[in-house]
Amino acid sequence: MTAPAEGTLRKIATFAAAFGIAVATYIAISEAGGGSPACIAGGGGGCQTVAESAYSELAGINVAVIGIFGYVLLLAAAILRGDAARITGFGLALVGFGFSIYLTYLELFVIDAICQWCVVSAVVMTALFATNALRMVRYVGTPP
Amino acid sequence: MSGKKEREKRREERLQRESEAESGERRQRLLKLAAGAAFVAIAVVAVLIVISQSETDGGDGNLEGVAQVEDELSGITQRGLVLGDPGARVTLVEFGDLQCPVCKAAAEETLPDVIDSKVRSGEAKLDFRNFAILGPESEVAAAAAVAAGEQGRGWSFVEIFYRNQGFEGSGYVTDSFLTSIARAAEVPDIAKWNRDRRSAKAKRAVSQETTEAENLGLGGTPSYAVQGPSTAGLEPTPAVDAGDLEAAIEAAG
Repeated sequence: MTAPAEGTLRKIATFAAAFGIAVATYIAISEAGGGSPACIAGGGGGCQTVAESAYSELAGINVAVIGIFGYVLLLAAAILRGDAARITGFGLALVGFGFSIYLTYLELFVIDAICQWCVVSAVVMTALFATNALRMVRYVGTPP
Repeated sequence: MSGKKEREKRREERLQRESEAESGERRQRLLKLAAGAAFVAIAVVAVLIVISQSETDGGDGNLEGVAQVEDELSGITQRGLVLGDPGARVTLVEFGDLQCPVCKAAAEETLPDVIDSKVRSGEAKLDFRNFAILGPESEVAAAAAVAAGEQGRGWSFVEIFYRNQGFEGSGYVTDSFLTSIARAAEVPDIAKWNRDRRSAKAKRAVSQETTEAENLGLGGTPSYAVQGPSTAGLEPTPAVDAGDLEAAIEAAG
């Protein structure tokens, strides 16, 4: 099976990172307002529980704000060409993916509440990891 | 002439091979670099998890008086926010606000004597009712106590809360703080407690108890009332120290 062209992977990653910024910004603004993001389905309790949990902050910074920062860096890596962007994008996406797994684990087994917006962010981060990993493995060392 | 062309062709092929080998080597080097980046990324995730866990674990380690409360309440039945034998003839009701410093003092200095002399013996039961008068944080804390009560750990929650009370309205009644109290109070199902404390039922219980205190004409916290065979329903008592509370229990019995 042939891998998609690097340009295609970069376009997907750019779109996913931009979408991730939007989702994380929405979560951050909603939480800063003292509420919780509106939920699409399954009742409104999940996001409130997650937003109010002790795990919604890391070193005093809202996790959603850390998410925005991460997505911005991933967007930059997707836009830029070359090996540095390929490797950095891969490393950043791996951090985001690993941390998303941890946060999803917390939602499922510790906080015992699922916030759909956090799930959306985890899916976006998974897509970013897949595209960045493929880009790095297939195209590193090739001309930009 | 043909010999020269032959040489040039061979030279081009050699350069091509060299260039391919060089680019292969470069790719190998970069892949090694990527493996290093993956290692760093995993380390970063591990650090983030450690920070996240250390902040939320805070738990009982940072709380005061947990062992003391366990000792004070050990072996006494807890049901809802009632401490003691449910069949006890006399009920001493404390209307308290978890943020109230005078209630904290009562929990630490007055009630242990009453618990020892009257509750442990089965003569009276002690019923904590929320009189949440010190703002929204009092209501949040009160609902958390009600939810702990639903799992039979209400009094442990109230007592540990008082021993770790902060300055009223200062924002210390956070989710993390309440969770650490609930864990220290050994609430068995924290997820259920989290749902219950936000439920309309818990909030309603708090507002009903607060209204009850107002209807009894109580002016502040802590206020006490007794109910027993010799009283006409629940009667407020002006007693505040242990001796007077014990006397009020005896009079109601």
